[in-house]
Amino acid sequence: MRKLLAVLGALCLAVVPGVAYAADPVKDPAKKVIKVGVTQSVDSMNPFLAVRLVTGSIQRMIYGFLTVPDSRTLQPSPDLAESWTTSPDGLTWTFKIRQAKWSDGQPITADDAAWTFNKMITDDGAKTGNGPAVANFQSVTANGQELTIKLKTPQASMLDNPVPIMPKHVWEKVKNISEYDAEVYPTVGSGPYVAVEHKKDQFVRLEANPSYWRGRPKIDELQVIFYDNPAASIVGLKKGDIDLIGRLNPPDFESLKGDDNIVQWNTQGRRAAYLQINHGATTSDNKPIGDGHPALEDPRVRTALHYAIDKQKLVDEVQGGLAKPADGSIIPPLYKDFFWAASGAEKVTFDLAKANKILDDAGYKKGPDGVRTMPDGSRKLQFRFSIHTDTPIEDKLAEYLTGWFKEIGITLTTKRLDSSKFTEETGTTALFDIAISGWSVNPDPEEVLGTHLCSRRPTASGQGGGTESFYCDPQYESLYLQQQKELDRTKRADIIKKMEERLYTDAPVIALYYPNDLEGYRKDRIASITPIPEDKGLLYGGSGYWPFYTLEAVSKDGAAAESGGLSGGVIAGIAAAVVVVLIGGFFVLRRRQGAADERE
Amino acid sequence: MTVTVEAPEQSPARHGLLRYAATKAGGALLSIAMVIVATFFLFRLLPGDPVRALAQGRNMTPEQLDLERARLGLDKSIPEQFLHFVKQTLQFDLGVSYEYKRPVVDLIGERIGSTLLLTGTALVIAVSLGLWQGARAGWRPGSRFDKVSTAISLVLWSVPTFWLGLLLLMVFAAGVGPIPGIFPTRGSSSVDKPDGFAGVLDVGVHMVLPCLTLVAVVYAQYLLVMRSSVLDEVGQDYITTARAKGLRDDDVRRKHAVPNALLPTVTLVFMRIGFVVGGAVTVEAIFSWPGLGQLFYEAIRVPDFTLMQGTFLLITVSVILMNTLADVIYHLLDPRVRSA
Repeated sequence: MRKLLAVLGALCLAVVPGVAYAADPVKDPAKKVIKVGVTQSVDSMNPFLAVRLVTGSIQRMIYGFLTVPDSRTLQPSPDLAESWTTSPDGLTWTFKIRQAKWSDGQPITADDAAWTFNKMITDDGAKTGNGPAVANFQSVTANGQELTIKLKTPQASMLDNPVPIMPKHVWEKVKNISEYDAEVYPTVGSGPYVAVEHKKDQFVRLEANPSYWRGRPKIDELQVIFYDNPAASIVGLKKGDIDLIGRLNPPDFESLKGDDNIVQWNTQGRRAAYLQINHGATTSDNKPIGDGHPALEDPRVRTALHYAIDKQKLVDEVQGGLAKPADGSIIPPLYKDFFWAASGAEKVTFDLAKANKILDDAGYKKGPDGVRTMPDGSRKLQFRFSIHTDTPIEDKLAEYLTGWFKEIGITLTTKRLDSSKFTEETGTTALFDIAISGWSVNPDPEEVLGTHLCSRRPTASGQGGGTESFYCDPQYESLYLQQQKELDRTKRADIIKKMEERLYTDAPVIALYYPNDLEGYRKDRIASITPIPEDKGLLYGGSGYWPFYTLEAVSKDGAAAESGGLSGGVIAGIAAAVVVVLIGGFFVLRRRQGAADERE
Repeated sequence: MTVTVEAPEQSPARHGLLRYAATKAGGALLSIAMVIVATFFLFRLLPGDPVRALAQGRNMTPEQLDLERARLGLDKSIPEQFLHFVKQTLQFDLGVSYEYKRPVVDLIGERIGSTLLLTGTALVIAVSLGLWQGARAGWRPGSRFDKVSTAISLVLWSVPTFWLGLLLLMVFAAGVGPIPGIFPTRGSSSVDKPDGFAGVLDVGVHMVLPCLTLVAVVYAQYLLVMRSSVLDEVGQDYITTARAKGLRDDDVRRKHAVPNALLPTVTLVFMRIGFVVGGAVTVEAIFSWPGLGQLFYEAIRVPDFTLMQGTFLLITVSVILMNTLADVIYHLLDPRVRSA
């Protein structure tokens, strides 16, 4: 027992000085360090392979892109390309690459960009991360600072190219891109920060790039710290282990209330939450697939469902008021240029009587049990609602929908699926009636619009795809091709709005609300941070590096510089007390042992 | 009356032990072979398309998806995949992770250290604390010490690990009322981990809460087994003899009762060592501890089949090996089993 106590005591002793040490985790106190908490870990530091959102955000800090969304308008603005021209047929794009330097001092040329794109075109492994971005590229050539990209067909989203430009002189030495983990530090990049350390599933450390073409960022170091457990990240923010956290859910966001050191950042988000309806799913060769309810093939039934949803109530009750009811479609109002809202007779408002009337008129009669049947009496209108397991918000949503649909004679039963099963059933095999869905939209909405194209449906064997709705509509399809060719932004936006209108009225998807972007940061650590867009936008998880380039840390001299936990003095006091107790305990034990020895 | 049982002649016993060990090892090998087969099919029965999961909602062209499938070897037939898997596994090659695009063996290698550190420390503390407390509790059944420690351990045992971990996190990392939040909220070290001794301390501080959670949850079983085991010994004649010799009560317990009572805990300790390799998935996930448990958790989230397969194999194989070892050591320690 004595030995045991001694071991335990030693363990405690080992811990005590550590506690005192924890008060000052930063080696150099003059260094301005900002820590961002994330709940997704980095999959690969190789931009050709990485697919996760968090990795995309970090790449934006390390590498330059041809263009970057403007911090005010979100329109494409110069980044590594300082200017560009398009040929009249829209097939040839010429970019002038900026005179700037890589972080290792080498000049940046068009050759770097050409090498990056050509690598992706020719090397299948390099396509993993951003393959579709170069699918339409015919050829890419460089001449000094001039980069020429020839396309197969016109592509309006060219200026929102998501590919980070890599330094040729570093990366051409890599033999096998698909097996290269790129864990070499410091990285050579052209963005505001340089990665200096990555510990898998723990953190990425970024240092300010002194040779960044816009000028060195105002903070010295940015740490992206991974939390496996979102609850722990909230604790971390409250305590000051991290300074900023984005992508919060409403309950976590609410729990930040009342903390004087924390700013609750609540702004319009880039996401749309919608219902995906199995309106008669087909494969890419137009064969029916899945087991969707036949009634949902009738647009009138889908419209009736739309009328039976009280979106404001969902916002208030399900999202805690932290969302905006959707009067439009899949593009949220954050993107002013592309957002479309229904108006006039077209606008669907919560109206159970109208929903009932639509169904009555369409011949779906209510049976004695109050549930409607198909006009031919073959089947009752009983739909399944697929949601994810362990998502309280979706459970709540299901409750409300079930209540309203009951009022219009439709039974809704909830079906909970784990995420991979969910993805399979709602995206490939179509074994669903209605499912919860949603998408985070980029400043250029082409990608989310593309998820409703005929070509995105899976093949009969379940290959390929990437559909959000199994939608295949000639009108929508032709509008998509039109907007792709339209290089005039205003005209293109008009076409995109028509596509949204088509989705709204045909209702293969029913937009419910646009969840707010919920974040929190410590004002005793962050003096100022510019969101994107600047008027009322996102901090983390938006597009571009703007917030983390403009971020100013609170000066260490300020009283607020103390970390969120205890002051060093208090910790030292506790440590001293523990030491005293342990020493005391040690002497007591010695005395007892002495007495025992005497007795034996 | 003699305290120890006289061992029979040396050589036949050793011979018997070797034969026993060989039988056990054979059984273990058979189990491992079955686990390898089961692992392959188990992870192919799971729902979900790994390639689509890898795309994480990004849109990929059908050609790209096919390419990925081919890269991961998923375009081959199941028998082909199986043969390939068995061949690879026998060469200690667990394949390449879908998600990290790196060999699973490397990923495991990076994590195994921090897992062994955390679960190993927790095991040492849990075993010492449990056995000590159990021995004392069993020595004087019904005493206040017995009642209190049994009650505490039972409560801790029945508390869900996740809940307890979060509670500790909120109380001792964030701080509640007069309790200051002194421990870190995540990870096995600070981002600015200092060098040398300070670095060791830094890891120590990070280890306190996850280690405490693990100890709280697992130590009860040692306590209870030890308690009942000591309880069995208390009434034995040799104890009475020892007492009659005029030995101090503490010494009778420490030198006579406890060594004999320790036997049944051997299996328990070794089985735990098997699980130690796998880490503690829940605890690692709460405290973002970068170990094998967290790796497994990540693999399930993706889902990353090769990574799941690899970690699963490692955990099951180590449990089997440790079980076998426990059997052999038990055989070595307990003459009754040996003669049986």
